[in-house]
Order: sequence, then structure tokens, then C-alpha cells
Amino acid sequence: MSAEGPGIPECDLQTQERAEDALIMHLERDQFVAETSRPVPRAPLSARVSTGLWALRVFVVLVSLMVIYTFVAQLR
Amino acid sequence: MSTPEVAASTLLRQPQPTEEDTARSHDRSRVHHARRQRRRWHLMWLLVGPGILAMLGENDGPSMIAYASDGAQYGLGFFVPFIPILFAMAYVCQEMCMRVGAVTHRGYGELVLQRYGRVWGWFGAGDLTLTNLVTLIAEFVAIRVGLAYFHLGSVVAVVLGLALVVFTLSGGRYWRWERIVLGLAAFNGLFLLAAILVKPHVGSIAGSFDFTPFPGGGFNTLLLLLASTIGATVTPWMIFFQQSASADKGMTPADVAHGRYDTALGAVLAAIFGIGALVAGAALLPHHGSAIQGFAGAGFPQALKHVAGGAAGTVFALGLIEAGAVAILTISASTAYAAGECIGASHSFNSSPRGAAVFYAANIGVALLAAVVILIPGAPLLSIALNANVLATVLLPVSLVLMVMLANDKGLMGPWANKRSTNVIGIAVIAFVALCGAAYGIDSFLQTIQVIG
Repeated sequence: MSAEGPGIPECDLQTQERAEDALIMHLERDQFVAETSRPVPRAPLSARVSTGLWALRVFVVLVSLMVIYTFVAQLR
Repeated sequence: MSTPEVAASTLLRQPQPTEEDTARSHDRSRVHHARRQRRRWHLMWLLVGPGILAMLGENDGPSMIAYASDGAQYGLGFFVPFIPILFAMAYVCQEMCMRVGAVTHRGYGELVLQRYGRVWGWFGAGDLTLTNLVTLIAEFVAIRVGLAYFHLGSVVAVVLGLALVVFTLSGGRYWRWERIVLGLAAFNGLFLLAAILVKPHVGSIAGSFDFTPFPGGGFNTLLLLLASTIGATVTPWMIFFQQSASADKGMTPADVAHGRYDTALGAVLAAIFGIGALVAGAALLPHHGSAIQGFAGAGFPQALKHVAGGAAGTVFALGLIEAGAVAILTISASTAYAAGECIGASHSFNSSPRGAAVFYAANIGVALLAAVVILIPGAPLLSIALNANVLATVLLPVSLVLMVMLANDKGLMGPWANKRSTNVIGIAVIAFVALCGAAYGIDSFLQTIQVIG
């Protein structure tokens, strides 16, 4: 880092560090990459919600296949 | 914790900042200063972005051609009031995305993956990749259609699109990327200018707010209109994009009110410009405009030139180029966010390409892939483009359901979780989208296999 270069006075280095600290203070703690990289805990899905999601998923896949089939058939 | 003073008390416990943190804190410091000095308009200027970009990004090439095509085939009735209703629906969905992003500081893909498991996370990413790739191809086609008016071909469209993606990524800052794309998105207003240039009858626009005349044609045609128009206003990429962009911008719960203004402003502008394209297209109705369907809409700028003069044709062609270009940037960004979030790699415009290789590679890679497809001789581009919005509508309900679940998750959202009224409207939107998409898919399939006539 250039900040460690021999030509930079100690007081300038301290000023620079203070400016960086002041800048970082504008972030909330849970905005730091170190915090957001930590995964949130898994939420337990009830059997009813899980079944509903799977039903919707299967339904959506089936309809998508129908749309894709129609698209391919129209190409012919 | 929302003020620098409070933050100072916990400074000793702050994690070691990365380059991404430092870049984001620069933007946040300006927000704090504007808020402290009560400079309302400056604060608004600093906090707008993700909402406007999601909404105007969705006023993309296929959508604007779909609106113009609706106008040319059916006139203004039904669509003038229907477009604002759809953008009101989009506002409900996008407000939730913004709120979850601002409160959790995390993107949609990573939250779904971590909170509800890898299966749902990867399903969402798969849906997104498929619809984004198809839509990106359609965006390059839209640019090509616009450039064709100026006698320029596919290669120019590809070079222009890819150069824009690389240029906007070159700064290593979210703020820079957002401002460049916002500047480009302002030119979505060209569609309003095109509408003015065709000199519409103001009384007929006002009169169409009573939903008449209802579009004629068969049941399947009506379903196709509904599905493709919904797909022109609410899509999976918008969900991924706005939540991730809100987090990347560094928005916090204190910014939620401004996030709502941003989203509402985006919805209003998108509805106005969408109606602009519709009105411009409607000028062709008395001139056999119905012959210019879908992406045979390559003829739209030319047709407008003959009917309303060269200026209208030129403005419409430039609008198509803008719509395609902005959508390429926002849709590529949503793919990149999703890739980084699902793989667990760095995913921010505030990181350097070396620090977020997956993010940058996905951003350029997906645009490159779509660009390659439009250069393939004989590829069914027009059919792909026409079906892009419909496919997005069909795949949307799962993304929306998981979005509503996240926005209701008190463990994540605390006091910012959905209110009952938001849930009622959100569930109604999901039901409407699912019904229209499924009805079209099933009806078309049954017709194709000749079970029904």
C-alpha cells in the first residue's frame, strides 16, 4: 500500500485512517460483507406450506411444458 | 442503528471493511448528510434507482412492441386502463422486494436459498436463467428492429448491446452503474414523444378509460393478450433485480419510504410510456395496422413514418433501441446477482472484477449467450421473442409466492413484515397472474393437440 511508503508523514496516515473510520461508520453493522456473508438460519416450512409449494411448482412446470410444446409445434 | 453517532459507539465491534463496504459507505455518507441537512430533493435523488430501473427496464423491447401491436390491432379501448392496473400490481410486488432488500441487506436468491432450502433457491435461479435468456434474445431483436430503420444490421445490435454491458461494468461502483442506466432509461420517454407526434385524438384516449371497446377475437387470443401484457409488466427478473439492487445500493429500513416513492415513480413513468407506445401503435389501426403483428413489428417504425411522418418513425425506432439496451443491462444484472447469490460468491457492483469474478462473468456471459443466438442464421427469433413474455408470466407465481413468504417472515423483517392489507392484495395479484398464465398455456396446448377447436 502506498500509505506505508517512506515519504508519507505519520500525521497524514492517522488523518487518512480517521477519515476511513468515519466513512465506514455510515454503514449499519449488518450491512458489512462479513455480516451478509453469514447465512440466515433456515425457516422450518410446515407440511402444509411445503405441500402447497410443491403443488404450485409441479403445476407451473406442467403449464410451462405446455407453453413450450405449443411454441415448438407452431414452429413446425 | 441508523445514525453515525450510534454507529460510532459500536465502531470497535465493526467487522473489517472490504472494498465493497468502503464503496457502499461512500454512498451512504452522502445519504446521511442529505438527511441530516434535511435536503429532501437531494435525498430523493440519492435514493431513487432500483424501483425506476425495475419498472422502466420492464418497458423493454418486446413489451413496447406488444403495446404498439395491441394498439395497432385493437385500438386504445381496454388497454389504456389495463396498463396502469398492471403497473399498480407490479408496484405491490416490487415494493415488497425493495422492503425485504432494505431490511435484510440480502438479495432474493440468497434469502430463498438460505431460508427455505437449496431446492427452492435453485428452482428460482433456474426459472430466472431460462426467462432471462429468452428475454435477452428478444432485447437484442428489439435493438435490431430499431437499427434496421437506420439500415444497420444484427452485428451492430450485438456490438452495441455488449459494449454497453462492458462499459457500465467498468467503473467498479454500484452508483456509477445505476446512474448510467438511469440516464439511458430516461429515453424511454421517447415513446411518449412518439405518441404526441402521431397527433392522437385526446378525447378518444380519455374515453377509453371505461374499458371499451373490449378487444375482439377468440378466447385464446384474449388469453394471449392478457398473458403477454402481464408478462410485459411483472416478471421474475424484476423481483431478483430490485431486491438485490436495493441491498447493493446500501438501502436501510430508514430508506423504505423513499424506496416506495422510487418504485411508485417508476410504475407511473412506465405506465405513461407504455400507453405512449400503445397510442403510437393505434395510429396504424385505420391503416391495416393489424397486419403488423408482434415482431413482424420490424415494420412499426417504417409504418409510423408513412402514417405520421419521419419524425414519429425515427423516435419510435430510437425508443426501441433504448428499451432493448436498458433491459439488456438490468436483466444481465439480475442474472449476475442470482448467480453470485446462489453460488455464494461476491455479488456487487461495488466489488472489483477480481473480487467478484462470478458476478461479472455472469453479467457479461448471459448477454454474450443471447447475442450469439441472434447471430445464428435461421434461428426462430420472432417466435422466441413473442413467447418471452408468456413464459415469464407462467413461471412468475412461484417467485411471487416465495416473495410474499419472505416479506411476511417476522424473523427476517421484524416490524417491517407485510401488513394484512398488503397480503390480501399480493395474494390477489398472484392468483390473477397464475390464472391468466395457466389458462393461456392449457387452452393453447389443447388447441395444438386438437382436443378443442
